[in-house]
Amino acid sequence: MGTENPGRPTFPSRPASSPFGAAQPVTPFSSTGPVAGSEPPPYRPTPPAPPQAATPFSSAGPAAARPGAPGFRPAPPGRFSDPSIPPPPRASNAPPPGGPYQQFPAAPFPPTTQQQQRAPMMGQASQAPPFPASLPAQPQMPFVPMGSPPSQSAAPAHLGPNAPPPTFQPTFPGYPSKQAGAEMQAPPMHSNFPANQGNYGPAPPAAASPFLSHQGGYVPSPPMAPPVGMQQPGSVPPMGSVQGLAEDFNALTMQTRPGTMDPLFDPKELPRPLEGDVESKNLADMYPMNCSPRYVRLTTSAVPSSQSLASRWHLPLGAVVCPLAEPPGGEEVPIVNFAPASVVRCRRCRTYVNPYMTFTEAGRKFRCNVCTLLNDVPSEYYAQLDATGKRVDINQRPELTKGTVEFVAPAEYMVRPPMPPVYFFLIDVSISAVRSGMIEVVANTIKSCLDELPGFPRTQIGFATFDSTIHFYNMKSSLTQPQMLVVSDLDDIFIPLPDDLLVNLSESRSVVETFLDSLSTMFQDNVNLESAFGPALKSAFMVMSQLGGKLLIFQNSLPSLGVGRLKLRGDDSRVYGTDKEHGLRLPEDPFYKQMAAEFSKYQISTNVYAFSDKYTDIASLGTLAKYTAGQVYYYPAFQSAIHGEKLRHELRRDLTRETAWEAVMRIRCAKGVRFTTYHGNFMLRSTDLLALPAVDCDKAFAMQLSLEETLLTTQTMYFQVALLYTASCGERRIRVHTMAVPVVTELADIYRLADTGAIVSLLSRLAIEKTLSQKLEDARTAVQLRIVKGLREYRNLYAVQHRLANRMIYPESLKFLMLYGLALCRSTALRGGYGDVPLDERCAAGHIIMTVTIKRLLKLLYPSLIRLDEYLLKASVPADDLKSVERRLPLTGESLDSRGLYIYDDGFRCIIWFGRVISPDIAKNLLGADFAAELSKTTLGEQDNEMSRRLMRVLEKLRNTDRAYYQLSHLVRQGEQPKEGFLLLANLVEDQMGGNSGYAEWMLQISRQVQQS
Amino acid sequence: MAEVLYWILTFVLILTILCILGYQLILLVDLEFDYINPYDSTSRINQVVLPEFIIHGIFCFINLTGGHWFIFLISLPCLYYNVRLYIKREHLADVTEIYNKLNWEKKRRLFKVAYLVVVFVISIVSLVWTLTEEVH
Repeated sequence: MGTENPGRPTFPSRPASSPFGAAQPVTPFSSTGPVAGSEPPPYRPTPPAPPQAATPFSSAGPAAARPGAPGFRPAPPGRFSDPSIPPPPRASNAPPPGGPYQQFPAAPFPPTTQQQQRAPMMGQASQAPPFPASLPAQPQMPFVPMGSPPSQSAAPAHLGPNAPPPTFQPTFPGYPSKQAGAEMQAPPMHSNFPANQGNYGPAPPAAASPFLSHQGGYVPSPPMAPPVGMQQPGSVPPMGSVQGLAEDFNALTMQTRPGTMDPLFDPKELPRPLEGDVESKNLADMYPMNCSPRYVRLTTSAVPSSQSLASRWHLPLGAVVCPLAEPPGGEEVPIVNFAPASVVRCRRCRTYVNPYMTFTEAGRKFRCNVCTLLNDVPSEYYAQLDATGKRVDINQRPELTKGTVEFVAPAEYMVRPPMPPVYFFLIDVSISAVRSGMIEVVANTIKSCLDELPGFPRTQIGFATFDSTIHFYNMKSSLTQPQMLVVSDLDDIFIPLPDDLLVNLSESRSVVETFLDSLSTMFQDNVNLESAFGPALKSAFMVMSQLGGKLLIFQNSLPSLGVGRLKLRGDDSRVYGTDKEHGLRLPEDPFYKQMAAEFSKYQISTNVYAFSDKYTDIASLGTLAKYTAGQVYYYPAFQSAIHGEKLRHELRRDLTRETAWEAVMRIRCAKGVRFTTYHGNFMLRSTDLLALPAVDCDKAFAMQLSLEETLLTTQTMYFQVALLYTASCGERRIRVHTMAVPVVTELADIYRLADTGAIVSLLSRLAIEKTLSQKLEDARTAVQLRIVKGLREYRNLYAVQHRLANRMIYPESLKFLMLYGLALCRSTALRGGYGDVPLDERCAAGHIIMTVTIKRLLKLLYPSLIRLDEYLLKASVPADDLKSVERRLPLTGESLDSRGLYIYDDGFRCIIWFGRVISPDIAKNLLGADFAAELSKTTLGEQDNEMSRRLMRVLEKLRNTDRAYYQLSHLVRQGEQPKEGFLLLANLVEDQMGGNSGYAEWMLQISRQVQQS
Repeated sequence: MAEVLYWILTFVLILTILCILGYQLILLVDLEFDYINPYDSTSRINQVVLPEFIIHGIFCFINLTGGHWFIFLISLPCLYYNVRLYIKREHLADVTEIYNKLNWEKKRRLFKVAYLVVVFVISIVSLVWTLTEEVH
């Protein structure tokens, strides 16, 4: 089985059973193209630089900034150059439509310089004659000499020297503006110019406009092109002298307490992500045809133009991709079928047709946006161009207007007929499994899901159970009862009846149901302690290797027999802090890695459900999930009475969610940039091809990119994620997400367009990987160092021009980064040392972080804390009105009032906290008669009263926001030690606890280190 | 006569190791350029890792028994490194992580090649040395 086994037949000689594994040329997904290996793999073509790169208005397309050019999104032509629109009255968040550069005939800057040198322009611009009279005549000279002035907010406020420096509030329209040192906010700014905020609002999208307006004709001209900085002078009073300091960083917190020895951050003013994850709208405004950020998020929505610039961005540079994210209700990904023709792709770089491709020569050719090659349009796909250069059929072609589409893949994209959905269950039936009640819950849940398994009527299903022997079940449709076959020779596994173990569900439905009904009673008197997990795994592999599919493992005890047996690895406190510490988090036996590699090769995805109350070595078992795009579910000390509901929901979700089978994913990007490392649960099949035997909407993958060329000459970078998979219905499909991002030359732009969620996701995956080779302490230090470096570089941008002593500055876009960094260091996976988290839980948490989507990760890192008692007590509030319970509180002990009832929800569990002096009414109504009893023994059930119903409604709402995991509620009373400690108090990340620093202290540490440079 | 046999054996052994390393390097480079899939590449590499180690052991042993102390001593660090890898069970290429470790694996083998070439040159020099001494 091992990969090093010399006798094993090599890959090419294998029949079609390995769909993509076969020698690369026939792999349809590899860029060698649908036709088997007729050309060398041109993944990253090396053509000469695109011609239009140097001269923005070259022949690459019709003149760029002219509306109506082919492929252009209809830009508002009238507004674009209409000087008659008065700039000042734009107080709303609407994008200021005023004319940009065209308004300044006197501006001495040729278009090419405009792209890069915004700041000097502004200085000039404010003197430009055609500007409205309200302009202050002050040149913005302080900006001009700066090496890298930020372009976006170019704050023109000139305050007196004594005035406190103003804090420019969040520039994003959707952002709350309550944080960031409200008292620091220069009052004059507010009182005099309420319009300011509004004008700043749309700044970010506008700033990038220069890049857009010079696209070689194939980029939609941005709807909100005009830079706002131009108009702002109109709303700025002629106050202050010329030397006034304006600050360009969008947010800053400066809380030095004069008089005390130590600088302090006022905890009240620290930024907190109480709104949850906010997807940045920057790109959607700039490139409306991009795919939704739900699918692809870049750590910064801008690609640095040079290696030297990239090296100054110390935070991770990369993307987080969730290829199958669930679209919000009602929306569907359009499915495009090119049959009988093949999928339209670029001949050279194999990019799929997308909205950014431009059609020329009366529609006979199209230019690839990624490699700029001029391709012929296949005759079946030909359509004329209209007067504006758009295809006449553009409205019937979703692939030309939408960033996310699905193509139906023709036969060239298949190595074998599309597989049916296959579910194989491998269930532990040893005594501990029986006792915990796990078998019963699993059998009942599977039975209830049989109707909803995707892929009817092709779905196949099979079962095996194991203790010290392995039991197979013949479920042939002709039988009335399943037939049990026992294999006890663990050293030489063989499969009895290889054809009837995996059966078609619709044909053998009654046999399967009979089996599931009898499963729990069949083993109820089993007293077998052993677990022949390894051999069982091998036999499951033998059953499934023909088709592939999903293998669900229910494991209740440490594997003790046959291959892959594991030792009770001493989770020894002495090991922590030494060089051997990471070994605990690595698989002990190479068997598991080898099995995982084989599974991946044969398109088997493994989900591990572990239930033991003792050590089960999640580190080893999790390896199976790690390389097969699977998932680890861990229920420590499972008891069906308590945890049954959670298992039921999560297993149901696992079985019924839409799944993509035998998938491979690749992300393409234009020349000059390359994705180098990938992080998540998958196996690499070639340098950039992710093998995902089964993938679903709850999995995200992260990747880091690096610049291959010292200087990028293009102005837009395109990324295209392509996921080739078999849908449950048996259709082979390609899901394509296309994304365009600007290439920027200023570090400040990179910071401005940064996406905290994606950065945190990448940072945490890197940290988890680090714990596999180093100490926990090192991983935490690395996270902190990364943040410090990032902020220090940002500080250096402004250090020359502003007085920054005792101030901590950070970009608006990264205001939550520090807090999430702290939360990451205090998360279950990285927290403390030996005594803080049991090893298995730590490993399971690590596996979760490696798979979850950004939204869920942020929720896990900074859970919501909500006060409930008011909602429960107030009869006046209608029960449906759940608005009042949406107010999240800071995660600190000070938020907890001992008279209140709080709910803490991290997406994986809910903790309901009863204050010490909570009104007995509440407790009685919620818990029933035994409200005074020990809470650990009580479970929360609906009582027959309004209050309890309301609580249930709240819980239901919380659970419905994201169904990937089920939040089991734990009840805890204030002062109930040690339960309160580890359930809630340790998770209040803003409080100092044990060796962990609190939020204010953490900020202070970071701020000190930032200033040390 | 024994001396001649010894030299022939030495050269054969060194060249064999060099060939094995070259083969592994080719497989790794192929993998990088996507001409081969990771399963084949690693299983072929792993087939020859142990033979390589054993041959190196034989080479050291011959030098030790043949009394060629200097060559023995300079090939000792490599032997130690091999043994250590073997004991830590890190001598085989890991198919699941091969892409992440590709550069390191290549570097390691390139270094070994350079090292062996040096050993080879030194052997030739000492052969010439002994020959000239015999002539005189």
